[in-house]
Amino acid sequence: MRAFVTVGATAEFDLLVESIISSNVLEALQKKGYDELVIQVGPSTRFGVLSEQREGISLDMWKLKPTLKDDFEKSDLIISHAGSGSILDALRLHKPLIVVPNPALLDNHQSELALALEKRRFLKSTTISGLAATIKAFDPQALLPFPKVDGAKFRSILDEEMGYEP
Amino acid sequence: MLSLFLVLFLVVVFRLYLILPSRKSKSDVVPTRSRNSQCHLAVFLGSGGHTSEALTLLSSIYFERYTPRTYIVSQGDTLSIERARAFEESKAKSKKNDEYRILEIPRARRVHQFLLTTPPTALRSAITCIYHVCLLPVITGRPFADILLVNGPGTCVILCAAAYASRLCFIPSPRLIYVESFARVDSLSLSGRILRPFVDRFLVQWPELLKDGGRGEYRGWLV
Repeated sequence: MRAFVTVGATAEFDLLVESIISSNVLEALQKKGYDELVIQVGPSTRFGVLSEQREGISLDMWKLKPTLKDDFEKSDLIISHAGSGSILDALRLHKPLIVVPNPALLDNHQSELALALEKRRFLKSTTISGLAATIKAFDPQALLPFPKVDGAKFRSILDEEMGYEP
Repeated sequence: MLSLFLVLFLVVVFRLYLILPSRKSKSDVVPTRSRNSQCHLAVFLGSGGHTSEALTLLSSIYFERYTPRTYIVSQGDTLSIERARAFEESKAKSKKNDEYRILEIPRARRVHQFLLTTPPTALRSAITCIYHVCLLPVITGRPFADILLVNGPGTCVILCAAAYASRLCFIPSPRLIYVESFARVDSLSLSGRILRPFVDRFLVQWPELLKDGGRGEYRGWLV
């Protein structure tokens, strides 16, 4: 099974990467049956391309790709920063999602969204220090499927605003 | 001289007051269009999550109606340009609805830019916006767009201000729709707070944001 970690493209989040590759998080992942771990490290100054074995998990690291869609699709668990784009992409593919808001972006209101969606049981939100315990206790079955985009809503708002006859 | 400026200022304020959306009832501003008529849609792609949300909003609109389309991006935002192109390729299927252009404008403020250096950067952005939204329509006689959709960040405020400058001067200007980002659960963004009284439609995706009783609509999640 594969776990995929993304920190997004705009801000570094080395604290998350560091925590993911710490031995207690790797051990938690391995106990849950994950043998592959892919980490997108973003604009990091400390981490770059890496490919090696650790604690019985094959670890792959890289910085950025134009789209993460393929990586999202191929994984069984996504651990992400709390950016709304990543959250929506992961939930729309109905992937089990654990979100870690970046404490350095507190004024960015990222944790608002993570907490609101956790309350509705679409994902699990946690912190850097709580990550290992969250992975151990995580049950994807307890999450609800995220609703599809209902494009008709905005279509009718736009048509209404422009005065199109219904 | 001073009294002249004062009179001018009062005229502008009065005109601004007259065109505020909250003053108008819906029926006297929206002209009815036939099902087959077309209008020009402009959308600002604010990069990252803003771009994703904007393209999702457009994913189900009637392309035959909203042709041509203008995608406004911040200068150097190649990712949004690529995504706009890919979006067009996936959606516009016939000669009747495949007309679009991409318009690059300088950023009002770069991420983490020092606050004091913001005014000159914003000014450059403003001049470009005014040129495209106010001046070109006067020169060519063709309105910038019939509708402008924005969802943040900062540069979209300048675009809307340019559209408002057109309105003040009786130049045909686009209707303005602001959709607050899905990420905004408890508090409006700065762009949202600034634009709320001015745009024709102000939409939020979490009902908590309207608890203050201010302007706006909640119609569920739109992205």
